[in-house]
Amino acid sequence: MSAEPPGVIGKGISIRGNLSGGGDLIIEGTVEGQISLHNHLTIEETGVVRADIEAERLTIKGEMSGNINASERVAVLANAKVQGDIKAPVVVIEDGAGFKGNIDMDVKLPDGIL
Amino acid sequence: MANVIGRSIVIDGEISGDEDLVIQGTVKGKIALKESLFVENSGVVEADIETQNVVISGAVTGNIRASERVEIKTDGRMVGDIKSPRILIADGAVFKGNVDMDR
Amino acid sequence: MADTNTVVGESILIKGNLEGDEDLTVQGRIEGSIHLTKTLIVEQSGVVKAEVSVANAVISGIMVGNLTATDSVEIAETGRMVGDIQAPRVIITEGASFKGRVDMGDLALPRQAGAERPKAVFKPAVAPKPMARPAPAKPAPAPARPAPAPAKPVPAPAKPAEKAASKPEAPLAEALAGASKKKVVIKKKR
Repeated sequence: MSAEPPGVIGKGISIRGNLSGGGDLIIEGTVEGQISLHNHLTIEETGVVRADIEAERLTIKGEMSGNINASERVAVLANAKVQGDIKAPVVVIEDGAGFKGNIDMDVKLPDGIL
Repeated sequence: MANVIGRSIVIDGEISGDEDLVIQGTVKGKIALKESLFVENSGVVEADIETQNVVISGAVTGNIRASERVEIKTDGRMVGDIKSPRILIADGAVFKGNVDMDR
Repeated sequence: MADTNTVVGESILIKGNLEGDEDLTVQGRIEGSIHLTKTLIVEQSGVVKAEVSVANAVISGIMVGNLTATDSVEIAETGRMVGDIQAPRVIITEGASFKGRVDMGDLALPRQAGAERPKAVFKPAVAPKPMARPAPAKPAPAPARPAPAPAKPVPAPAKPAEKAASKPEAPLAEALAGASKKKVVIKKKR
């Protein structure tokens, strides 16, 4: 968690390219390219992101396509639409969310079951 | 909670375990239990059965080996051989097969 | 027990195929296949290693295998699953663990970024449009599509396209057809 207030990419903003940084970020607009954050990224309802994302935590309420690699947690909330692969220790998909892709969490199964 | 294989269920394969099992549906294959097997009215079993007790009110085709007791109730129908120290066949029950009560 | 629910108890192991038109609660273990027109409930102690097709599934135990549901799949807090899920509604609760593919059908992403702006704006420079799917309709120059064949002998123009070949999602490619997408390779910075 960074102490600073999160950065915001507002509704009217479109970004194409790479986005990287250390603080929390909220995306309400459109981002296309690549995102690499050390902290928490939130894609709001109005947000449309087409990017591969690397972050600590990711919360998606809007639309996103691309691959996700999160070191802590990914949450796909009720009205979000996500297409792509997710790799994270914790992945939550709420009822009502749309998702298509692979999810890779560490699944600890008893020995010999596979 | 009792083990129940419900009316609409069809199992083709093997069932094993050490709890009581109630069959209301259809089981084909093999059943191996350490406790009691109840084949209820709607139950259809086409399987070899190995268990402690068997109570049959439905239809069983196959051989039974029970370590304690086999009971075929009034509505029960059974075709196959039974090996068990105690065997009860109720009035009205249908049974065809050999009985072996040797211990 | 008038309205019975089939229960497979903790000590019970069923190997084979199971079919039915009622709910099934698994506390024990089932290996093989399960086809139900109702709901499969795998309780915490339950282990299902099977190809499963049901209307609904709630996994609180262990599920290994592919799962198709006409309605919904929920992996509860204690649930662990390895396999692919196909269902219009899929819920993964916090605490659950899952590895595999999720397909909720077409997402119909309506607010494509590409729709808001003219396609041409997107990097007109990226020469060959790298399609993950061989798209006969697209007038992409032939040498630029590395996906269909091992494109070893493809010369220079393949640089950005080669990377795109690993893009797994064909429908996505279609959805995004408006915009050329370069597959970006995430480089670890830490």
